[in-house]
Amino acid sequence: MDVDEDDFVFYGTPIEREDDTSTTRKKKAVAEASGHLRTLVPWKQEVRDEEGRRRFHGAFSGGFSAGYYNTVGSKEGWTPQTFTSSRKNRAEIKKQSILNFLDEDEKADLDGDSLGTSSQFDTFGSTAAELARKQAEKEQQQRPSAIPGPAPDEIVLPASDSIGVSLLLKMGWRRGRSIKDSRPGSLYDVRREARKAFMALSSEDVQAPISGSELVKGDPEMVSELPTSSDDQLFDKTPVYVLKPKQDMHGLGFDPFKDAPEFRERKRSRMSEIKEAGQGKSFSTKNSLFGFKSERIAPGFGIGALEELDAEDEDVYASGYDFGNSYVQEIGDATRLSLEDNKKKGKKEHGVLHGFKVASVTDYQTERFNPPVIPKDFVPIHVFSAPLEDTYKLADSPPPEVSPPGDKDLKVLIEGVATLVARCGKLFEDLSREKNQSNPLFSFLNGGDGHQYYLRKLWEENQKRNDHSKQPFAGKLYPTEQKMTAESRGKILGEKPLEKSSSNISSPASSVATVNLQVNLSDTFTKPVSFAEPQEVAKPFRDDPPKQTRFEQYLKEKYRGGLRSKESGGSSYMSEADRARERLEFEAAAVAIEKGKWGNEITPSQQLVNLSGTTGLQFTSAGTEQAGVTKAEEELITKKLYPRREEFQWRPASLLCKRFDLIDPYVGKPPLAPRTRSKMDSLIFMPDLLNADKPEEDARVAPSQSENEYNNKEAALRGDEVEVEVENVERPVDLYKAIFSDDSDDENEDSGLHKVEHQPKNAEAANTTLSRLIAGDFLESLGKELGLEVPPERSQSEHNFKGKEVTNISTKDTNSSILSVDRKLFMPSSASADGSKTEVRKDNLYPLEVSHDDASREAIGNSTQGSGSQKRGIGLFENVFVKSRVDVSQERKESTFTGQQDQSSASSDDERGRRGSKSRRRKSRYSEGETTDSSDGYEDRHRSRSRGRKNDSSREKSSSRKHSKHHKHKSRRSPSSSRHRSKKHHSESKREKRK
Amino acid sequence: MSSGAKLPTTEANVLKGHEGGVLAARFNSDGNYCLSCGKDGTIRLWNPHRGIHIKTYKSHGRQVRDVHVTPDNSKLTSCGGDRQVFYWDVATGHVIRKFAGHHSEVNAVKFNHYASVVVSAGYDRSLRVWDCRSHSTQPIQIMDTFSDSVMSLCLTKTEIIAGSVDGTVRTFDIRIGREISDDLGQPVNCITLSNDGNCVLASCLDSTLRLMDRSTGELLQEYKGHTCKSFKMDCCLTNTDAHVVGGSEDGSIFFWDLVDASVVSSFRAHSSVVTSVSYHPKDNCMITASVDGTIRVWKS
Repeated sequence: MDVDEDDFVFYGTPIEREDDTSTTRKKKAVAEASGHLRTLVPWKQEVRDEEGRRRFHGAFSGGFSAGYYNTVGSKEGWTPQTFTSSRKNRAEIKKQSILNFLDEDEKADLDGDSLGTSSQFDTFGSTAAELARKQAEKEQQQRPSAIPGPAPDEIVLPASDSIGVSLLLKMGWRRGRSIKDSRPGSLYDVRREARKAFMALSSEDVQAPISGSELVKGDPEMVSELPTSSDDQLFDKTPVYVLKPKQDMHGLGFDPFKDAPEFRERKRSRMSEIKEAGQGKSFSTKNSLFGFKSERIAPGFGIGALEELDAEDEDVYASGYDFGNSYVQEIGDATRLSLEDNKKKGKKEHGVLHGFKVASVTDYQTERFNPPVIPKDFVPIHVFSAPLEDTYKLADSPPPEVSPPGDKDLKVLIEGVATLVARCGKLFEDLSREKNQSNPLFSFLNGGDGHQYYLRKLWEENQKRNDHSKQPFAGKLYPTEQKMTAESRGKILGEKPLEKSSSNISSPASSVATVNLQVNLSDTFTKPVSFAEPQEVAKPFRDDPPKQTRFEQYLKEKYRGGLRSKESGGSSYMSEADRARERLEFEAAAVAIEKGKWGNEITPSQQLVNLSGTTGLQFTSAGTEQAGVTKAEEELITKKLYPRREEFQWRPASLLCKRFDLIDPYVGKPPLAPRTRSKMDSLIFMPDLLNADKPEEDARVAPSQSENEYNNKEAALRGDEVEVEVENVERPVDLYKAIFSDDSDDENEDSGLHKVEHQPKNAEAANTTLSRLIAGDFLESLGKELGLEVPPERSQSEHNFKGKEVTNISTKDTNSSILSVDRKLFMPSSASADGSKTEVRKDNLYPLEVSHDDASREAIGNSTQGSGSQKRGIGLFENVFVKSRVDVSQERKESTFTGQQDQSSASSDDERGRRGSKSRRRKSRYSEGETTDSSDGYEDRHRSRSRGRKNDSSREKSSSRKHSKHHKHKSRRSPSSSRHRSKKHHSESKREKRK
Repeated sequence: MSSGAKLPTTEANVLKGHEGGVLAARFNSDGNYCLSCGKDGTIRLWNPHRGIHIKTYKSHGRQVRDVHVTPDNSKLTSCGGDRQVFYWDVATGHVIRKFAGHHSEVNAVKFNHYASVVVSAGYDRSLRVWDCRSHSTQPIQIMDTFSDSVMSLCLTKTEIIAGSVDGTVRTFDIRIGREISDDLGQPVNCITLSNDGNCVLASCLDSTLRLMDRSTGELLQEYKGHTCKSFKMDCCLTNTDAHVVGGSEDGSIFFWDLVDASVVSSFRAHSSVVTSVSYHPKDNCMITASVDGTIRVWKS
């Protein structure tokens, strides 16, 4: 028992005993007071005072505190008053009010209900004065003072002055005087003198009477005092309402703008406007608070308070046509005139306060500085110290035209270098000169053979570059350093350059030339055969030589086949997305060229523009190409192209037919194969289907893919046995699918599953790959379809087992790559960490791998480079896993049976087998749990892909249902056995631990 | 009634009442009334011939983009920025049902001939068919083969035709079970059926109206001269199919000859974008709606 107790683990802090201290009681009371017990039912709640004591209890409980606290609230308790009345001292008949019988708190409550004047609405300050007086009286009563009785009203007055007023008063300001009037002595004297002089000049001045009176008084002291005193008396008594006459119809003291001061501002401005103009001038809300935040919101109405302002609420129509101003035309000059008038008025009155005049002479002089003197030789263009092009003055007289050197290679080389130098600047020339000093080929750089020609070319290039730079496209997309094209690079390296390309690049992008070229190309490229010659490849990306190079590379690979170099996927500076996009572009271009309609058909850029509209991708670089095509030509092209009609099968819902009062054209027919969603899809999937065995180009996929390829190759070498291994490698793909597949799809695919196998023979290669891709669980059923020899009697799990065994053996072949494969094989088991500890420890080595691998699979899926066969395999897995999910309950029943079968297998392989089984179990779990969650989001994101899949799998839905049934059975079984076994293993390991 | 009849170019009435732009104005099936909807989220029923505002239907929370009334004038359907299709009772002005399902704004809505179904076209690239007869909240069918916002739709007795910004006019033939996609190459803004039902007039965003033969998919004629580059603007054919009518972004109305595509008449009708034109089914009468907040009735 002691041992057991030692094993106890305590979590958290123990709950304190309640009867400890009074503080806890108090705490509890506070907690209760703050509503902790509110949640209790009313009859279980207890009323306690702030001390935490129960105040309400029965008549006989509660003890001392019952009487004292609950009733009278005095130590003496409740004592009845004696009634005495005598002749001298008559008992007053007191008028009892309810207040006599109320407790303090109840009185406070009652006060809350009673009506009173709010000091907020105290317009005249009378209530405030009253209150202050009362307060003073109260205080007076409380503390004894020298003066008996309440202080007279004259003495105690409420301090109702604002802080500003009191400050001003402190500074010597008197009421009723304008602030400027406060006079510093000497200045005042001076002014007085001046005023006197002025008075002598013009006696009709408005100020005459006042000054006259001043003059009469004579005494400056008096003069200064006189208004002050009188004003003081006057204004001290003047209530607020005289200063601010009530002009509205609101209730007294009611301020409608109390909570929205902006409106006050608005109202005032409107009022003043009315006063000023008489006619209503539109109140400009543009800059005020009332102008809508976004000016594009339609005026006059808003949307619901609960709605968010979206882009859709923007007033698109307001952009071009300000319909507020659109009437100006009709009204004509009158409006404008009045507007101008208004403006003038505004100008006049803006700077000046009411009652003031604009001074004609001001002391204040704004200091003005003259602009700095620009030196005469200043050129307002910044010149870079290491110029790109300026070394070759464009104004230079062109070098004489020189015939190219006889050697064709040399000519091309010179041209290439010239292009390059023009692009990269003089520095490059120097560099290459230095580098190639010994190289006779580059002697032209040092004034050797062909130097003249080089100079000429360079000049031409520079000329051209200048033209180019005027186009916004030039040099914007990529840094200049990377403008070095593969061609020029090749030239530097001394490779044999492509013949036409350089000349094409050098041809200026004049529209005529483009058209000509396109016509030429259309003549040349009517047959795809011509693609065999990369030299004659069309130049759809003429404006972007590196891109063109990549395109050529792409074409070469496409039509020649063979392995693709990894670098071909694009230059290093391109992002994955760019690369994928570019590939699509290339494909589109290739298709366009292939069709032989290059001259009169759509340019890839146009097509891509269409696409970009559909997908939201932006093909910025391609879009610029349109500039080269003249408008007329474009129109011609579109006219020839459009309208284009396509027809698809479409199945109306039966209810729809019913509602339209039509007969369902598909009544009784199986559901249609959904077709690909868009052009984008077809672009994505078509080439892959065609070139199923084509290795992947996408660099993102490249690592994992190449690995797989490698494995595949090895698998082929090893023969049948290793097949199992490879298929296991492929598993994460189906795992991924199983996770994200959605149910409805699976139901469909279930029936259409096996028809896939009857695909045309052109995909035989795909079929063989397929056989490798498919998990061991389904090998049997598949093998039947494919005509592979699989022992029919073997149970599914056993078969799988064998596969694992083989793998095990092959692992010992000391091939490191296989080892890695082996690791991957058991990857999923690492995720199922609920197994025994020992296993987990082993597998913990690879969780990183798991994530990585999954990610790479995802990448495969996303880039949609997966071959057709893969997809088919995926479809299978998906289906099976869903099946296994559906039949979980059945599995359990069956598990006992299969489990026994498994027992007979060799014990040495036990662990491996268990791991495998666990992995499978995990998968099925995955499909159980996460499919439902993530399918929705996934569907959205990958709609296009799933469509493609669907398309594949449900192509031939109508045949061979029995296969699927058989298949179902198998699939049902395998997870069950594995489940059982893993369970068993689990218990075993437990037992081991106990020991 | 004949093709020689005068075009409705004189203003008969101005219907004012909408705050902000009017996005659509439609005659009812017999042409006695018209419905308008606008940015203020209201639908208004008018008698355009007398210039009377009859009723206002308020329930939309955002702008209303399209409205359609059943042939028997008993029900309305409308759609707009609040992503729902509203199904109204005309007489009471109550919303009978709201069909929710579009992921984004709904651009156009139409009843079918029997008023048993509402078809809506949304910015979410889909057409949705809603059942008015049952109480199901799910659409009967979703056509999501479009690759961009579906702007406009037309219904015949057997077909659903819709035009999309992806440049296609797709005809869903329920009787045959086919979908015919006619790619016009330019974003389609509005489509209208000719009165004989043989042609589709499509307003494209390249300031061109295109007349397409429905059976062959051939481009019959192009009508140019107006401006239509950025807004959803209606176009229509006159009831005799003799002329094509279209609005312009500068507030003008254009009449083209159907056959030779010459501009027969054009006049400035509104001070702002003409969003909608609707032609009377029998008379030489036309209503135009504009962002300037007015609906104008034109007669010859």
